[in-house]
Amino acid sequence: MPKPSDLLQGTLDLLILKTIARKPLHGWGIAKRIQLLSNEALSVGQGSLYPALHRLENQGWISAEWQESDLGRPAKFYALTPEGRKQLERELKSWDRLSSAVRLLIQNA
Amino acid sequence: MRIVRILKCRLDSLLHRSSADTALEREIEMHIRRLTNEALAQGMTEHEARAIALREFGPVEQTKEQCRDTRRVSWIQDLAQDLRYGIRLLRESPGFTAVSLLTLALGIGANTAIFSIVDAVLLRSLGYRDANQLVLMLAAPVKRPDALAAISYRDFTEYRDHNHVFSYLAGNTFHDLTLTGAGEPSIVNTADVTPEIFPLLNAYPLAGRTLLPEDGKPGAAPVVVLSENLWRTRFGSDPRLIGQSIALDMRSFTVVGMLPAIFRYPDGAPHPDVWISVMQDPLFGPRTSRPDVGLLGVLGRLKPGMSLTQAQADMNTLSAQLEKEFPAEDAGLTIRIQPYRQAVVGNLKSALLILLSAVGLVLLMACANVANLLLSQATGRAREIAVRIALGASRARIVRQVLTESALLGLLGGITGVLLAVWAVRSLQPFLPPDVVQISAIHIDGRVLAFALFLSLAAALVFGLAPALLATGSNLHWNIKDGDRTGERHGRNMRNFLAVAEISLAMVLLIAGALLIRSFALVTSVKPGFDPQNVTRAEVSLPQFQYSTPQQWTAFSRELLARLHEQPGFKDSALAAPLPMDRQGEATFEFRIVGSAPVARGESTTADYATVSPGYFHVMRIPLLKGRLFSEQDSPPRPNVTVISETLARRYFPNQDPIGKEMRFGFPPYNNVSRQIVGVVGDIRDVALSKKPGPIMYVPFAQAPLYGGEVVVRTSLSPSSVAAGIRAAVHAIDKNLPVTDIETFPDALGQSLARERFRTWVLGSFSAMALVLAAVGIFGVISYSASQRRREIGIRMAIGAERSHVFRLIVGQGAKLAFSGLGIGVVFAFLVTRLMASLLYSVSATDPLTFGAVAVLLLAVALSACYIPARRAMRVDPMVTLRHQ
Repeated sequence: MPKPSDLLQGTLDLLILKTIARKPLHGWGIAKRIQLLSNEALSVGQGSLYPALHRLENQGWISAEWQESDLGRPAKFYALTPEGRKQLERELKSWDRLSSAVRLLIQNA
Repeated sequence: MRIVRILKCRLDSLLHRSSADTALEREIEMHIRRLTNEALAQGMTEHEARAIALREFGPVEQTKEQCRDTRRVSWIQDLAQDLRYGIRLLRESPGFTAVSLLTLALGIGANTAIFSIVDAVLLRSLGYRDANQLVLMLAAPVKRPDALAAISYRDFTEYRDHNHVFSYLAGNTFHDLTLTGAGEPSIVNTADVTPEIFPLLNAYPLAGRTLLPEDGKPGAAPVVVLSENLWRTRFGSDPRLIGQSIALDMRSFTVVGMLPAIFRYPDGAPHPDVWISVMQDPLFGPRTSRPDVGLLGVLGRLKPGMSLTQAQADMNTLSAQLEKEFPAEDAGLTIRIQPYRQAVVGNLKSALLILLSAVGLVLLMACANVANLLLSQATGRAREIAVRIALGASRARIVRQVLTESALLGLLGGITGVLLAVWAVRSLQPFLPPDVVQISAIHIDGRVLAFALFLSLAAALVFGLAPALLATGSNLHWNIKDGDRTGERHGRNMRNFLAVAEISLAMVLLIAGALLIRSFALVTSVKPGFDPQNVTRAEVSLPQFQYSTPQQWTAFSRELLARLHEQPGFKDSALAAPLPMDRQGEATFEFRIVGSAPVARGESTTADYATVSPGYFHVMRIPLLKGRLFSEQDSPPRPNVTVISETLARRYFPNQDPIGKEMRFGFPPYNNVSRQIVGVVGDIRDVALSKKPGPIMYVPFAQAPLYGGEVVVRTSLSPSSVAAGIRAAVHAIDKNLPVTDIETFPDALGQSLARERFRTWVLGSFSAMALVLAAVGIFGVISYSASQRRREIGIRMAIGAERSHVFRLIVGQGAKLAFSGLGIGVVFAFLVTRLMASLLYSVSATDPLTFGAVAVLLLAVALSACYIPARRAMRVDPMVTLRHQ
């Protein structure tokens, strides 16, 4: 299995926002889900995940709530705020622009 | 909405910090729990699983710290924490705290005090609305643009009525008049003005009115505006004074108003007591009709948006027209305009800037000292800081903590410094040259406090940066293992550098101070050419309406001297005008030598002039070199005579005998009078003690009388009985005559040196501070390094080094620093002191004697500062040290 590639700077926010867009998740869940949905290709280090979550919370894009988790103890669940949803759309658009630009470059260069 | 969310977030983390931290703790613990569960699922033991989970998670504390940092309020919490920690540190080492605070307080206090003076003199607005529109206007010959002169009244009216650049133009001149009635007769400082000056300066009366345009017309009724000060002191703040009359030179003037005390015109000169129209002045009034007499200094207010260049161009056009229209008086005359502020501040600027840079150097030295102390401390704290870094603190965070501590120290030093400055400004005031600075205007205000605050923080940054960088820059591993010797070489280099820098700064300051002190000593020990000891002087002036003719003036002088001579102890009395040191500026009195070739137009021969009674030379002990002195017979109708000074004889009668030659000079109406030279007397310094004697011509009082003069008495009586004697003699003739400015001649000479004394005193005290700071600095470096070298010294002694050898080792280290500092300091001093050449009297700015003496003094002080640590090192017991280490 190839080593999970390092995350491009700035894409972590996008991944987090996208991951919790459908339903609120706790930190562990987010990390697992990113790993799962990317076929194990992407792995988020805990060392960068939690600071990123706290930063997004402090920027008002996501909000947090303590809820009962599957382990039977309360866990901190993160959910998108309305502003965060708009921010996700902006980030998706800019990601599309970036990736198509990179694809164009790779195909034509 | 998002903003609200963010604010709520920040507020929560600020106010409920501990609950936020607990939440973070739980969240991360949760994650680790799940990692552990995963590992357990693979069949490991609880213990192994936990270990793997922790390894997988990475550095927990650093992650937590990063999460906390995202709250963006952590800096407030950090600051509070750092401040608390800083205060605790300061309280733990009171010796260090006291020395650093004192050093900083000295530096910041001295700077604040000097800045408050600079602010008052150079920076603060002059207190007039749109003060930068104000200009001063004087006439000058085309050929000698520096020989500024007053403008005739006629020319003033021409400029006032025909210029296109000024919203107002006003003339003024100053004169002493005698105020009689309502108590002792006294001299009042009178401003003779044209009425435009009040709207020009936006002067509003305290009560009544100022002068109106009608009051300035010839033939108007005489009216006067009083200063608030005179109104309060002389007239007891009587509100009914307006409309009443007061007598100036025995002539009645109606009081029309008072000017408030805050009105300070003219700046940097004694403030007038009364303001009258120049038309009404007994001396100058008649001269307003003389277009050949320069009478007024002219003040102008530029129209809004008008530049100085435009104004000068307009004046050039006008003066060219006047030159054509009135060739007799105005040929070769131009007008020179300068900003009013520049005229007020003038030559004070360079002296103050020198003081400011000197005091800046003192602060730099203080910073170097505190940096040194902090460095020693930081080295001791290296282990603590290393542990903090290991526990996850970032370098930036550590730098911030160290800088917070420095800022705390800086602010505390600043507060002490401001208190010191308040005291210093108060105690400096007696030394301030009174003619230059508005003493009441110097105070510690918001601007000065802002300056002090800025200074404290800048200083904190300067002395805090080095320890901060040192603390974080060195090897982490080493620090934990062996805290004491951390970054030792690093620290030692920096400390040595600081000590050398301090010594070289001290060298520069000491040389500057020593040059001024030497120059001052030379000025005060200079022989003025006369003997001021035991001479008392007093001014007597005659009101002109009562004593209007020269015959009356002569008669008065005769009677006064006769009455003085009658009194016991007053045998050596004489009358003269003016006395040495009384004149303003350079000798500018023109003369011509009869029979010599006429001088070229625009050039002239000039000398100082004094009219004296026959006994003057004897009273002042001015020696006769050739010919004879004046006698009682030298009075009209006998031929006019003059006595000249040695310099005049040598300069204008080279290789010939001046006795019997004739010169033409004199005051109107005795100008153009031919006077025969009958004697040559010794030179005296009559402009200032620091100015070389210039040419002087003396005339007998009886042949060139004035409306008053200076009485000089050589006597062994006490100053107060001399004053009483002079008053008695004057009042026996006329009880309405004021006697003013009674003082002993040595006192008067001392006052003429006020500026020199001030700057010598101030720079001298800076030098003393620099010396102390340098001594403390080198003491700190050497004793710290000696204490660090205890083990080395112990080993040396254990293998047989003599105690004297150890002593030499320590002192030698200090000497090395001192010599490097001296070398660098001499070079800097050499470059810097030439900037102060204009302040020095008969001492070269690179005087080798001063340089040498200062170097020896500084070296001696530096070596004595090494003495105590060296003695201490000598007493090191090798066994104790080796065992301890």
